[in-house]
Amino acid sequence: MFIGAIGCEPLQLARVHLENSRRLEVYKKHGGYEALARVLKSLTPDDVINEVKKSALRGRGGAGFPTGMKWSFVPKDSPKPKYVVCNADESEPGTFKDRYLMERDPHLLIEGMLIAAYALGSHVGYIYTRGEYKYLIDIMDEAIAEARTAGLLGENVMGSAFTCEIYTHTGAGAYICGEETALLSSLEGLRGHPRMKPPFPAVSGLYGCPTVVNNVETLTAVPDIIKMGGEAYQQLGTEKSGGTKLWSVSGHVNRPGVYELPMGYDDMEKFIMEDCHGMRDGKRLKAVIPGGSSVYIMSAIDIIGKDVRMDYEGLVNAGSMVGSGGFIVMDETVDVFESTKNLTEFYKHESCGWCTPCREGTDWLVKIFKRIEKGGGRPGDAKLLLDLCDNIEAKSFCPLGDAAAWPIQSAIKRFPEDFKRRLASNGNTNS
Amino acid sequence: MSTETIRVTLNNKDYNVPKGARLIDVCREQGFDIPSFCYYADLALQASCRMCLVRIEKMPKLQTSCTIICTDGMVVTTKSEEIEKAQRAMLEFLLANHPLDCPVCDRGGECELQEMAFDWGGLEERFTESKNYHPEKYLSPMVANDPQRCILCKRCTRVCDEWMGEDAIEAGGRGANTVIGTYGGWLDCSQCGNCIEVCPTGTLLDGTYRHQARPWELAQTISTCTYCSDGCQMSLGSRGGELMRIVARDRYVNGINGEFLCIKGRFGHPFVNHEERLRTPLIRYKKDGKLLPATWDEAIRHVARNLDTLAEKYGRSSIGVVGSPRLTNEALYILHKFATELVGTDNFVSDDAFSLSPFLENLGAPLATHHDIRHAKTILLLGGEPEELQPLTGKQIRQAVRNGGASLLVVNSVPIRLVEQAAQFVHIRPETLDAAVLALADPGSSQAASRAMGIQASEFQALRQLIELTEGDLIVMFGGELSPAAQAVVAQLPFTLGSSTRRVLLHPLPLFNNSIGAHDMGMMRGAMTASQMLSEAGKTIHGIYIAGSFLQDTLGTSETALEKLDFLVVQELFETETTRFADVVLPAASFAEIDGTFTNNTGLVQRVRQSIQPVNQAKADWMITAQLARELGVDFGFELSASAVFSEIAERVPAYAGLRYPLLKDETKPVQVKHARVAERDLSTELNTLRNAVAAMPDAGEKLWETPEVGHELFKIGTLTDKVPQFHLLAAGNPRPETVNISPLYQITVDADLRREAVGKSV
Amino acid sequence: MTYIQIGPRSQPVRIQDEIDTFSPEVEAEIDRHLAKYPVMRSAILPLMFIVQRERGYLDPPGVAYLAKRLKLRITDIWEVATFYSMLHMAPIGKYHIQVCRTLSCKILGSDKITSYCADKLGIKPGETTADGRFTLSEVECLGSCGTAPMFQINFDYHENLTPEKVDQILASLP
Ligand SMILES: Cc1cc2nc3c(=O)[nH]c(=O)nc-3n(C[C@H](O)[C@H](O)[C@H](O)COP(=O)(O)O)c2cc1C
Ligand code: SF4
Ligand code: FES
Repeated sequence: MFIGAIGCEPLQLARVHLENSRRLEVYKKHGGYEALARVLKSLTPDDVINEVKKSALRGRGGAGFPTGMKWSFVPKDSPKPKYVVCNADESEPGTFKDRYLMERDPHLLIEGMLIAAYALGSHVGYIYTRGEYKYLIDIMDEAIAEARTAGLLGENVMGSAFTCEIYTHTGAGAYICGEETALLSSLEGLRGHPRMKPPFPAVSGLYGCPTVVNNVETLTAVPDIIKMGGEAYQQLGTEKSGGTKLWSVSGHVNRPGVYELPMGYDDMEKFIMEDCHGMRDGKRLKAVIPGGSSVYIMSAIDIIGKDVRMDYEGLVNAGSMVGSGGFIVMDETVDVFESTKNLTEFYKHESCGWCTPCREGTDWLVKIFKRIEKGGGRPGDAKLLLDLCDNIEAKSFCPLGDAAAWPIQSAIKRFPEDFKRRLASNGNTNS
Repeated sequence: MSTETIRVTLNNKDYNVPKGARLIDVCREQGFDIPSFCYYADLALQASCRMCLVRIEKMPKLQTSCTIICTDGMVVTTKSEEIEKAQRAMLEFLLANHPLDCPVCDRGGECELQEMAFDWGGLEERFTESKNYHPEKYLSPMVANDPQRCILCKRCTRVCDEWMGEDAIEAGGRGANTVIGTYGGWLDCSQCGNCIEVCPTGTLLDGTYRHQARPWELAQTISTCTYCSDGCQMSLGSRGGELMRIVARDRYVNGINGEFLCIKGRFGHPFVNHEERLRTPLIRYKKDGKLLPATWDEAIRHVARNLDTLAEKYGRSSIGVVGSPRLTNEALYILHKFATELVGTDNFVSDDAFSLSPFLENLGAPLATHHDIRHAKTILLLGGEPEELQPLTGKQIRQAVRNGGASLLVVNSVPIRLVEQAAQFVHIRPETLDAAVLALADPGSSQAASRAMGIQASEFQALRQLIELTEGDLIVMFGGELSPAAQAVVAQLPFTLGSSTRRVLLHPLPLFNNSIGAHDMGMMRGAMTASQMLSEAGKTIHGIYIAGSFLQDTLGTSETALEKLDFLVVQELFETETTRFADVVLPAASFAEIDGTFTNNTGLVQRVRQSIQPVNQAKADWMITAQLARELGVDFGFELSASAVFSEIAERVPAYAGLRYPLLKDETKPVQVKHARVAERDLSTELNTLRNAVAAMPDAGEKLWETPEVGHELFKIGTLTDKVPQFHLLAAGNPRPETVNISPLYQITVDADLRREAVGKSV
Repeated sequence: MTYIQIGPRSQPVRIQDEIDTFSPEVEAEIDRHLAKYPVMRSAILPLMFIVQRERGYLDPPGVAYLAKRLKLRITDIWEVATFYSMLHMAPIGKYHIQVCRTLSCKILGSDKITSYCADKLGIKPGETTADGRFTLSEVECLGSCGTAPMFQINFDYHENLTPEKVDQILASLP
């Protein structure tokens, strides 16, 4: 599996191939904790937030919300403690970038969190890692211990007045706990149900205190932003999408892996055919899910010869989304009806059960897919599926409902024949 | 909520609404009905059913009106194709896995899901797949559970947590596999059954009345609970002269308690039609003979004759007249009239656990209503254990703290469960509550008092500070552990603790449904207490006419007293310790069989209404007394109408002046009687009594550390709850049966009678 | 059958209360987790994993212990444990083979890996071998899509699986 940068100098992946890249001294030898030192020496919290704003960094967890803006929502004057929470729940099917960042470069995350904590006036950070990544929790705990003994954590970080602790926390198998408010419920020891927004976590999050939740990739981008300055980082990408982005590539390509691309990299076809060494066994490209299972599926026609730019705007124009950058490539052997059923089963399994449309809707959708698969398809089924999706979309309590609906909607729209085939002859699928 | 108003536009019409109002409430008040399942006033927001969707201008998606606080200029649409499609969709989702066999469901006919489906109609069955299956089962002797019907509105888990503070039932599992339940599938709680009440569907059901009747077969009668002094409003469901069930569902009744009831109110009624109810009057012709059935005329004549003889032989005051705090005001009033005007004796009393006369006769402030309690800023609880003895008060306290941010101050020798909600718990030694009262009324004595209570003086200063900080209502509650002097002092506390920004309200915690009424009717102003009367038995007291029975504790004081009486007449529902020695026993009617009124611990006088014909030959207590009076030559002349009795009460008892039954007919607007208020008066005698008492208290002694178990009072077997087999299971520790598929009643034998009960019910 | 009192608001829960404490090492580990949070309850998941490790699964005594240690109601433990797919309230095999079934693994043959394991062990997904050694499950995306197909045995990742590799892995288990 490939891990590295294409079309730019490796930034977040700069150290992943070094020997003992996890060790503090290795990290330091290669510029580690310099950003933190600068921040503590010469930057005010607002300076940090401004740099991040200038960098045009957008949340890499999936929602793509401008990070600098999110940080500026945290009330400075609040007497309550403030929390920085790293979202390392990485459960979006097709996504595995955070895993390698933490496995190969844990101190980068610690430094990013420390800078965030400094900027937000927080003294405690939690890293919420999905329970299956236990070995990563052990790695992070080691790194945290290293950092603490080196005076990079705890009282007077690097001899400054700044104090901060970072702790790891384990999930226990629930995709929904990647959703930031559900994550906070889970971190409080409750069932992982999402919470009402507003109030947003920035105002009332963990234990009712101001809290910023950021993805691993987002936080690990921060040290470089400080080092090179916001503008420079933004320059690496496009105006609205600054910097570089990690793409987790899986499926029918010859070279899957974690690819760091500059935002705005074009184009997707080249990326698949050259950078990922093309399709396995010379098969033809059929479909791509570019941003993790929750985004619209793209068909080869939307990609081949279309110069699809790989950034937030580019993918929206191409009819999909960046999401978490879980880039799933499928060749002609794949039946999109089956792949969609597979994902729908995922969402049914992961629906937290809080709200009606998602809980009952995903259960019903799966039952229909199973019936069709068993040959019980009916003419009206495609229409029924689309109507149920419409009844879930934008009506559920949290975005998981939408995430369950979008793959089906786009699959039926872009691969009608894979559904038609299963429904009785006069099947009407274009509604 | 402030009185400021803002403008909102609902369906193209402008309205002024209070600032901070919730959109769903506003829409409903303005007559736009918004469907909802999970929204329940005064419970934590859930926003999970997604039924209450509306369109708000400038907002991207449909919004859940239950979560929206109105803002000025908000423009809202509650009806449109888009909205109806969404709402129908949610209903369709909810029905997808829900069995469509309403006819076999106990909730059929009063199910919110069923009603909504029928209201909207035209639901085509698009869901043709097989439904997820969960078997029916029992969660406890009281609670039956049909998980398939659950729509996960989580009202049950929220009332269990927020109302009861028990958190005994919760949601487990995830996604479509989410179920409401408990660890191990057995429900260990106070069995209040409120989860059953708030359940909109047939998921949680009354396990004591499973498949016994259909809602539409039941005649609903609004009445007042006959157990504790909170006086919950309830709806008695009867069929063919049998009381089938008791509920507080808001479709039938909307009293001070909303849909809240405790285990006794909800499940404690089977005594009414119990086979052991007395069938006829009984006479014991010679002392050690048996009680033999008699006609009413015979019995009444027999009683009259014997009372006459007693009066001639020993004088009128040799006759004691005793009532019970369970009786209606009407019954107690007539007893009082009978004793004072006809018999002419000062020896009358209502046998209660303790008398509130010293308190009510020094009342310095109004009694708090349960609404006041819910909205209080600070609650000072002196002794008592409301969560077991006055459960509605307990619930109001909990909600005041949890949903209203009130601070609860507990002074108690026992770490009662409410301590969990307390801002401060002053843990005192047993039997030193008077010291606490002294410390409150006279800071000068707080050193001595603290020593007696076994606490740091600072603890009481802290408590005082919290009181001083209170802006708004301070409510002082007290249980039965206070001496008369202390009661008087508490009644006057408002003058010491009140201020221009702090209103002090009082809330006594008597044990019985009409303890307050008994006082109002004058029954507590007799010459002796019940125990004194018993110890005088055979000395100055030779005959007793008692409506109800003596309390166990009273009897306990002098075991053989009753045998020493020449003549004992008892009006009762059942044979009891007291009837064992009776010369005449007269079958009385229960609360379900009569009209009348009870006065609760907040001074609300509320109606008791006849739901069924008197069982067997039973008669209303007041009628029996009246009949006896007629036999003795005095006609009280009430033409068998309770309302006529109440009119006379209204004329003779100042606190009830001007009241009539018609004024009491709406349980949603309860009437508080006007107990005379006593101006601030000199308490030096009482305070001295307290100082001496405190001085006499040992300044050493063990404290009690055990938090009492849930139900240690609620599950106690009394004359009435003894007739409910399920209570025996609970009293025996609510053991989990072999299988949860059938009621534990048919699987576990706690004692032989219980078995008989069970079988009797099953055939 | 002994009663235990958990927290001020709770009543006795009928359940064996066998564990007073675990070994000093384990208790220390538990204290380390509790020390991370201002609110005790936050430690519920880490502690559940520890109890699961020590007891094999969240058995009644383990559940009672958790409730006691965290000052919670038994119901609180139950509601949380049943929400998360990695927590088990019923016995489970010594080795829990969790084959990722989600899309990226699926299109690279995860179903073949599953059926291969099933045939090899003579059980269906969701079942445990008679000797209690293996439990086979199909689970959702484990973040190993680039190295599909894969499974996790207890906490260990095994990636780029082939039948031969499965044989080696299972053979190598103690
Ligand atoms: C159903 C659902 C699952 C999510 N899963 C993840 C996740 O696994 N990791 C993550 O970082 N963000 C996830 N998110 C996004 C988070 O809610 C949140 O936007 C993100 O953590 C914010 O961090 P960022 O701004 O750095 O992206 C998920 C969102 C939803 C609705
Ligand atoms: S959409 Fe509803 S049920 Fe689904 S995960 Fe979000 S809150 Fe839970
Ligand atoms: S009432 Fe608003 S979502 Fe249920």
